Amino acid sequence: MKSEKIEKKYTPEIPTKEIEELRNSIKTASQKIMAENIERMKKTDPNRPEAMKYFDEIANLFGKRPAEILAEKEKGKKVIGYMCLFAPTELILAADAIPVRVNSGWYDASKVGDRVVPVEVCPVIRSTIGAEMIGLSPFLELSDALISVLTCDGMTKLSEILSDYKTIWGMNIPRVKDSAHSLRFWNDEIKLMKAQIEEFTGNKITRKSLKEAIEQTQKATKAFRRLQDLRKGPPVIMGRDAMLVNQAYLWDDKVRWTEKTEALCDELEKRVQRKDWVCSPETPRVLITGTPMFWPDNWKVPTLVEEANPKGIIVADELCSGERILNDPVGVDEWTMDDMLNAIGERYLMSSTCPCFTSSDGNEDRINWLINKVKEWNVQGVIYFVVRGCMLYGMEYNRIKKALDKINIPAYYLDTEYTREDVGQMKTRVEAFLEMLTARTEI
Amino acid sequence: MITVGMDLGTQRVKAVVLKDDAVISRGQAFSGFDPAKAAEEAVKEALKDADLKISDVVYFVATGSAMDMAPYSNGTVSTMGADAKAGIYLFPKARTIIDVGAEEARAVKCDEKAVMVDFIVNERCAAGAGTFIEAMARALEVKLEEMGPLSLKAEHASSINASCVIFGESDVVSLIHRQESKPEIARAVFDAMADRISSMVNRLGINPDVVLIGGVAKDVGFVASLKRKLGVDVLIPDFPDYAGALGAALTAATRAKEGKK
Repeated sequence: MKSEKIEKKYTPEIPTKEIEELRNSIKTASQKIMAENIERMKKTDPNRPEAMKYFDEIANLFGKRPAEILAEKEKGKKVIGYMCLFAPTELILAADAIPVRVNSGWYDASKVGDRVVPVEVCPVIRSTIGAEMIGLSPFLELSDALISVLTCDGMTKLSEILSDYKTIWGMNIPRVKDSAHSLRFWNDEIKLMKAQIEEFTGNKITRKSLKEAIEQTQKATKAFRRLQDLRKGPPVIMGRDAMLVNQAYLWDDKVRWTEKTEALCDELEKRVQRKDWVCSPETPRVLITGTPMFWPDNWKVPTLVEEANPKGIIVADELCSGERILNDPVGVDEWTMDDMLNAIGERYLMSSTCPCFTSSDGNEDRINWLINKVKEWNVQGVIYFVVRGCMLYGMEYNRIKKALDKINIPAYYLDTEYTREDVGQMKTRVEAFLEMLTARTEI
Repeated sequence: MITVGMDLGTQRVKAVVLKDDAVISRGQAFSGFDPAKAAEEAVKEALKDADLKISDVVYFVATGSAMDMAPYSNGTVSTMGADAKAGIYLFPKARTIIDVGAEEARAVKCDEKAVMVDFIVNERCAAGAGTFIEAMARALEVKLEEMGPLSLKAEHASSINASCVIFGESDVVSLIHRQESKPEIARAVFDAMADRISSMVNRLGINPDVVLIGGVAKDVGFVASLKRKLGVDVLIPDFPDYAGALGAALTAATRAKEGKK
């Protein structure tokens, strides 16, 4: 599927045989890991909601969903991949194309990326490069073009490197968002992207198709928020299950995902009425923030928290692989094309708490978001997760820590690599943190 | 009531026997390839010393990196939890407990009620821990226990990079090539470690009193460097290497009293 015509400016040529060997070995390992992760989730909650069955199936990155997308492509649909949440998926949907997020959660692929960039670079970036080099990721392979939003340094350079393989559309995002000219600038980027998507797909984005796309995404947002709201009270769903549902939105069919999530919420609401809790309501309530955690490999922190002794439950997160995905709806006043485009621009820029932003008071939106989550979701402790090489999240920690100190919420900085080998060390830390939270609640 | 704490560390397993909240004996063994067996040996040694049998023990608690492998264990406590317990038992006014072991350095902060409120662990690198001194002693061709006294003879401070054991070793080699004396180099090694650990502790914030435990607390050279870098007094108990096991034994006593089995 890879185009032979593009001259590779960044990446080395790897012999086809080596590519196949690498891809097959990582894919085989990955299938085992996905199955194991799901088995462990089932074991943690033996009475898992029926509706999770669907998400377990859709979680198979080499399974049903890529096959469906391939079938759609064969009928002429285009697939547009993206790396950051700023990519306006409503525009992709309105052009009758399929949006998929393509960041790589495969640990082993980062070792392939090491052939191109230094090991100090963020492993999410290295792994995405590696996945592309060996054709590992079905969604990346299926993408006809990629939207790369120039957020952190890693993402900016990632798009250059991936241009060895794919058509890349960069979106230039302002780093200070709370000014009128930033929003104007960004809204222009949105309009350019609309034109680009229309030209590429050959489908005109009409007032009707865009309105439909916005309304469909609003429905998904409603289901998404309903799920998070159900996590406010005594625990009715394990954090990992909710996190998997949230993340599945990134590659699933949007209409079907919305139906299945609503069905899950119906089931959970019945459990709330029966007071059928997923674990003791005394279990320490944890929020995770920091570097995104992509399925399937980078599932180790949620797993550690929910299988620890003493165990914790993840009731909320502030991750761009999690609750940031659909937290905010597009708000339209008048359904004119211009208004809709501006509303999309505003939603993607203004609601984001990504640490690529700064303002006269730092990334205050993120702090406010976190404090609000802590209060409304009754969070007792925050795990601040950073993968080595993720500068922006690492640098923002102290500010966040101080803000949480003020409301007497302990935070722990948990750093890791894209490997499985450090689970032992991380377990010690996670358990000490949970022990601390348990002791605090006993006082 | 007899309780036992086991600390299954990366280099040694330590065991402490507690009778009614007072230490009556200790034992240790090299972890090697079989930490469970080492723990058995350490416990047997300690019990023999106190003239007791396994069956006399009401409650066992394990801690340390291999705690899940511990024999006899009725439960575990995190290394940070054990540090806090031991530090406050040994020095009731202690609020910051620094533990420097073979492979890991960490610090625990407690509030005014002596409850653990925060902790920090060195960033996945042995350069801030005991093995660093071992590697540097090798490079200097001196015995590990000579490093501390040697460093105290240094007349001035030179510096090496302790971001990594391997880089540290090559820095030591360059100092050797610059014909720095062994005492100066030994001091540079401790200064570099103390630098890393004190910046880690400062990130956590210091609540006095400060206690230092862990095997490395026995090294006079490191202690001198750490006091210099932290700029506060550092209290060191007798048998600092047994503090983790003591914390586990104290936890065992608490749990036995609460009737947790």
